Amino acid sequence: MTEHVLKAQNLTVERGGQKVLSDVSFAIDEGEVFALLGGNGAGKSTTLLTFLGFLAPSSGEAFVQGQKASENTRHVRQQSAYLPESANLYPHLNARENLRYFLSLAGVKRSEAEVEAALDDVSLRNDARGARLETYSKGMRQKVAIALAILREAPILFLDEPTSGLDPVAIDEFNTLITKMSEGGTTVLMVTHDVYGACQVAGRIGLLRRGQFVGAFEAPEGGQISPDEVHAAFAREHQQ
Amino acid sequence: MNAAFLVAADEWRFWLRSKLGLAAIILALLVTVTSLVANASRISAAAESRAQLQAVAEETFKNQPARHPHRMVHYGHYVFRAPAPLAVVDPGVDPYTGTVMFLEGHHQNSATFAPFFSAAQAGVFARLTPAMTYQVLIPLVLIIVGFASLAREREGGTDRQLLTSGLAPCDLWLGKVLALAGLGGLLLLPLAFVSIQALSMGEGAGAVSAFLLGYAVYLLIWALLIAAVSAGSRQASGALLTLMSLWLLFCVVAPPFAASVATASAPMASKIETDLAVAKALRTAGDGHNANDPAFNRLRSNLFEQYGVDRVEDLPVNFRGVVAEAAEADLTDTMNSFADETMQAEMAQSSIQQALSFISPQLAVRHFSMSLAGTDLRQHHRFLHEAENARFDFVQGLNRVHAEELSYDADINRNASAEAGQRARVSAENWRVLNAFSFEPAPAGQRLASATPYLFVLAVWTALCAFVGISRAKDRAEAADA
Amino acid sequence: MPSLKNELWLASRDRLVQATVLVAFVLSAVAVIVGLNTSHQQRMLIERVDAAVAEDRAYVLAQQSDPGGAAYYAYHFTYDPPSPLAFAAQGTRGSLPWKHRVRMLALEGQIYEADTGNPELAMGGRLDFAFVVAVLVPIFLIVLLYDGQAGERRGRRFELLVATDQQGGLFALRAILRAGLLFAAVGAPFLLGAVISGAGLGGTLTVLGALGLNVVFWAVCCAFVALRLSSGPTVAATLIGLWLTLALAVPTAGKLLVEGTIPVPVGGELLLTQREAVNDAWDLPKEATMKPFVEHHPEWAPYADISLGFEWKWYYAFQQVGDQTVEDQSKALREGIAARDRMMGTVALLSPTLLSERLISQAAETDVAAYQAYERCVRDFHRELRMFHYPMLFETKPFSQEAMAELPSFTPCTQ
Repeated sequence: MTEHVLKAQNLTVERGGQKVLSDVSFAIDEGEVFALLGGNGAGKSTTLLTFLGFLAPSSGEAFVQGQKASENTRHVRQQSAYLPESANLYPHLNARENLRYFLSLAGVKRSEAEVEAALDDVSLRNDARGARLETYSKGMRQKVAIALAILREAPILFLDEPTSGLDPVAIDEFNTLITKMSEGGTTVLMVTHDVYGACQVAGRIGLLRRGQFVGAFEAPEGGQISPDEVHAAFAREHQQ
Repeated sequence: MNAAFLVAADEWRFWLRSKLGLAAIILALLVTVTSLVANASRISAAAESRAQLQAVAEETFKNQPARHPHRMVHYGHYVFRAPAPLAVVDPGVDPYTGTVMFLEGHHQNSATFAPFFSAAQAGVFARLTPAMTYQVLIPLVLIIVGFASLAREREGGTDRQLLTSGLAPCDLWLGKVLALAGLGGLLLLPLAFVSIQALSMGEGAGAVSAFLLGYAVYLLIWALLIAAVSAGSRQASGALLTLMSLWLLFCVVAPPFAASVATASAPMASKIETDLAVAKALRTAGDGHNANDPAFNRLRSNLFEQYGVDRVEDLPVNFRGVVAEAAEADLTDTMNSFADETMQAEMAQSSIQQALSFISPQLAVRHFSMSLAGTDLRQHHRFLHEAENARFDFVQGLNRVHAEELSYDADINRNASAEAGQRARVSAENWRVLNAFSFEPAPAGQRLASATPYLFVLAVWTALCAFVGISRAKDRAEAADA
Repeated sequence: MPSLKNELWLASRDRLVQATVLVAFVLSAVAVIVGLNTSHQQRMLIERVDAAVAEDRAYVLAQQSDPGGAAYYAYHFTYDPPSPLAFAAQGTRGSLPWKHRVRMLALEGQIYEADTGNPELAMGGRLDFAFVVAVLVPIFLIVLLYDGQAGERRGRRFELLVATDQQGGLFALRAILRAGLLFAAVGAPFLLGAVISGAGLGGTLTVLGALGLNVVFWAVCCAFVALRLSSGPTVAATLIGLWLTLALAVPTAGKLLVEGTIPVPVGGELLLTQREAVNDAWDLPKEATMKPFVEHHPEWAPYADISLGFEWKWYYAFQQVGDQTVEDQSKALREGIAARDRMMGTVALLSPTLLSERLISQAAETDVAAYQAYERCVRDFHRELRMFHYPMLFETKPFSQEAMAELPSFTPCTQ
């Protein structure tokens, strides 16, 4: 039996003396897209930051390719690309310069053609690519950050509210992109409060509420999870 | 206006609740009080010691035994510079100028023993005088407390809420200015307390109130500047950076920069060169010790004519004394013209430095404070002038005693024998020619007049900062509406 | 380590880095140029005054017919020329004398003359290289480093940067790089100045070492504070507080402590005593002067009888005796100043600002020790003058214009 790529085992995290995650467990296999859904303060971002090794669990553990995330942060960060919530790259650099800088920081070399192809993938307007990011709209900045995540070509992708700020057309394009990447073997853990977006791309969805895992949905073979079902569960949990 | 007060009150509450704001205010009060107490005790100790030495010097002079009067001319006298009452706040150039001057015939000495001479050398910043505290440190405290005043509202988006709920943009700005100015006013209280003490030391009420007004305006400039920068900044950290840069420029870089520019653009001859020039100019003048010097031939013939005699022995006055008096007068004229040149050169340097008040309000308030406290270069020159007058008076007083109280016959035979030497003396009564010397700063009116231009410069700064602040506050409101 | 080239490229695009490094460079260059100019002016002045004093001496000596008058009117110019590194730190040369015109009269009456120029300029300090290093460099470093991490957090890049940085140590590298850039920007003008003025390697390295020390100290402080506090303004305010403490509070408190612990004689009293001693001599029996004089100079005992009302040898004897009466006070004053300086050196260990300032002015030979060395030099020269004049005054050697040609001439002492 192959190892899970990502696994949360009784994960409990405290921040400022308060439990923000308690006893959360789930596992994600290679090529799978897993979405964590939850309202404000449910602990979604905390989960991502724990997998990335920024936060140490007070009990339980987050495993990445079988290794403890809190102990092998270097390994985790080598194997993953991270798209933070409303990512701001450097406002005084243009899209190409930002990508070049961050790729070099990641120690990967990509040709100019590859960079342009990634920007094509996120459909960033050609004429905007040479302009400083401070002139960009929120959505355009998000596209550059997505391009960076793609260009990393990492086996694991951590996405924090990836579609926030994107217009509906761009959201569709993004979802197609993620599906394509997962088909190519990339494992994706995304956190979001966008029920419909999550249902479109995720093979499985986990529901978080106040740091606790309160439900899971799985897509039928060849189909999608029903947004209505998830929405109903979401609303039910929220009322409690 | 009422709204502005509400904004100000809210700002105060924010400071008191944030650790940084409260810490800064307490620290600032502590530093101002410490510097005031430390400086006041230092200045009063110096004043006491100098007054005492002055009394000793006068006592010793008057208690000299009967002597040849010219001996007393060379015996000389000391004058000490007493610090001005407001030196308790701003000692100005006091640590850098000599405090003692030796007065004697035929020479103008420079003031020696500046407090700096034997002080422990700890850099320019080790003089935590109250003036420096208020001119340099308090603005920094205001910056730390107030840099975020408007930028914070913008960062948090709270200004939009305030403006959409009907607050006028100018009221928001004015409220923040009022809050900062109020803090400045609070920090001015210790200064006011000590300045009022200066009243009891003989300072005029007008000078003291103008002095406080100047500092109040200066702190108001900073309050306006901080609000203006904060209003124009999108982020609090940007405002802090800009304000820190301005502070560095105005308070840290400008003073030594101004001094360097002044030195480089108006170089001065050294004292030695001036002394040499005096000596050279005097080569043709007669030696007052030698009555037979041909330079005094005219003086002699004039006297012969006046008294109708044709031998110096027959003159009713001692010709040697007359010569000494005339020679001293000529010599003093020459020395004074050179001394005036030196002082003018120094004033030229200082005026370059003063002109740079337009690049830094700190330079403006520094000159304002020193001129009003009577601790600036002008006052030091005043001391030099008064000391020179004292020198000239006692030397000429002695020369007149020489001319009138000592016979020519006894005088020229003074080295013949011990008894002859005794005969060539005048009684100690004559040493009363010495007037008591007490240096006091120029009258308050005069100091006010010389300080007023700086007040004008400060007013320009105030207007400029207020204008920039208001227009930025309005621009912001428009940007927030958009 | 992340790629240095990449970070250098990023730093070169950062407006804050550009502006700070440029301002640091310009101020350092201005300080060096002003310093070099000041040293040049001082050398010119020395040359000019030396010639003028010599001309004056030649003029008055030609008119003298006795050794007493020759000794009385002949002035000598003494000076402490600026060292090659003096451009880097004005030090005590701004407010303590480095030139005196002296003659055979009592030295204590001459050596405290201060010819230091405009006091309003002295109080402003000088924009010299030492000031840039000690006072401004910490501020520049705070500006460059305070927001290193907090700024990235605020820009929501922090996690992304750390997660992307494969080798780790990104922020350390950035801090080191910026500190290095500042070191280069401030150090380069100085190095050029040192080469122009022909400074020795040791001194040059000491000054650069002081700069390096200050840079490292403040970079470490910034890193330490930035790691513990997450908001940029709080980091900056804390660092500014630290700077105020080390640059202002410690020197001020240290100065108070040192001056309170080590008293020095009041200069005014010393002058009064000395003047009294010299003037009282006129009215005292001649033996009262000659006795203490020959105690110091037994070789003149056989010639110490004064028979006339006025004799030059007696006149100069009481000048020397005047110096002798305040010798203890004068020594105590000098030792007090030296002791204060030594203690200040200990205090400086608590303040990198003070320490770097002291190190630089030490290397530049513009510190208290250099001033005192110059004062010793003047005292030695004055002794030499006395040794030259006494044989003629005590008539063991005939006075002549030719003999006066042998008059000692002042040469500056080297430390």
